Amino acid sequence: MERASINRPPTPNQEDEPQKELSLREIIDVKLVESGEKEKLVELLRERLVECGWRDEMKALCRAYARKKGRSNVTVDDLIHVITPKGRASVPDSVKAELLQRIRSFLLSSSLR
Amino acid sequence: MSSSHDDAPVSPRSQFALTCFEELLESAVADVASECHRIARLGLERGVDAEEEELRAWAARDLPGAEEGGGGGNKGTVDVFGQVHPAVAADVVECMNCGRPVAAGRFAPHLEKCMGKGRKARTKTTRSSTAGRTRNNNGSAASSYSPYSSTGSANRASLPNGITDGGGSGAGEDHSNHIL
Repeated sequence: MERASINRPPTPNQEDEPQKELSLREIIDVKLVESGEKEKLVELLRERLVECGWRDEMKALCRAYARKKGRSNVTVDDLIHVITPKGRASVPDSVKAELLQRIRSFLLSSSLR
Repeated sequence: MSSSHDDAPVSPRSQFALTCFEELLESAVADVASECHRIARLGLERGVDAEEEELRAWAARDLPGAEEGGGGGNKGTVDVFGQVHPAVAADVVECMNCGRPVAAGRFAPHLEKCMGKGRKARTKTTRSSTAGRTRNNNGSAASSYSPYSSTGSANRASLPNGITDGGGSGAGEDHSNHIL
């Protein structure tokens, strides 16, 4: 005769539980980071943005904003919000194309769909 | 496939590339924002209004008792004791090499000439010895610095590298023929 076991739901078996699926995007992202390519891409983008004067433009925007708002009242978030719209719009097409090209060739070379 | 805002369906790969690019741009933007924030908070920028006024006020103010001693500081700067200093140090010091009294602000250049730093401005002795040497050289045969120069006598004598001299001014062309 079996004694009643302690009344509690059975512990779900680890193997039975389905693995949380990583989206394809996440998989690619991990590959980008692990291979060091993401780092290179960021560096490349920064370099191009400096060369074309984009960085200086953004700095000027920040300076103007800080002057208006008062130096001590400025937060990093403020500045990000100030720069982002203009920043996105003023990236030169050539720079964008170059980066997109590199990303795409990475995707191809790592034989992902 | 998301075709919500595009007419042509964007391939997943292109879509990913765009998203990835935007991420990279975000990093770049955050980078700039962070740096500018730092500059703003630390007041590192020259010419930001309130600070600029402050600096101008410092430069322009008249210090009690500072009657422009010795010409006054050029840049209008003042040290921690409130003293103003002339751009060129006025104290007179005795040179340990030649024994002459020299202005402290002019001491380094004086010492250079005094001790003979290099090519120019040598002492009297060196100058006369070089003069003697160059005069001798012009007369002798081997003058390796100017093999094709117009000092005729030197050329006619045998040149140090043993090349036959093809004549004074036309030496160039003939010379090359011989070599080839």
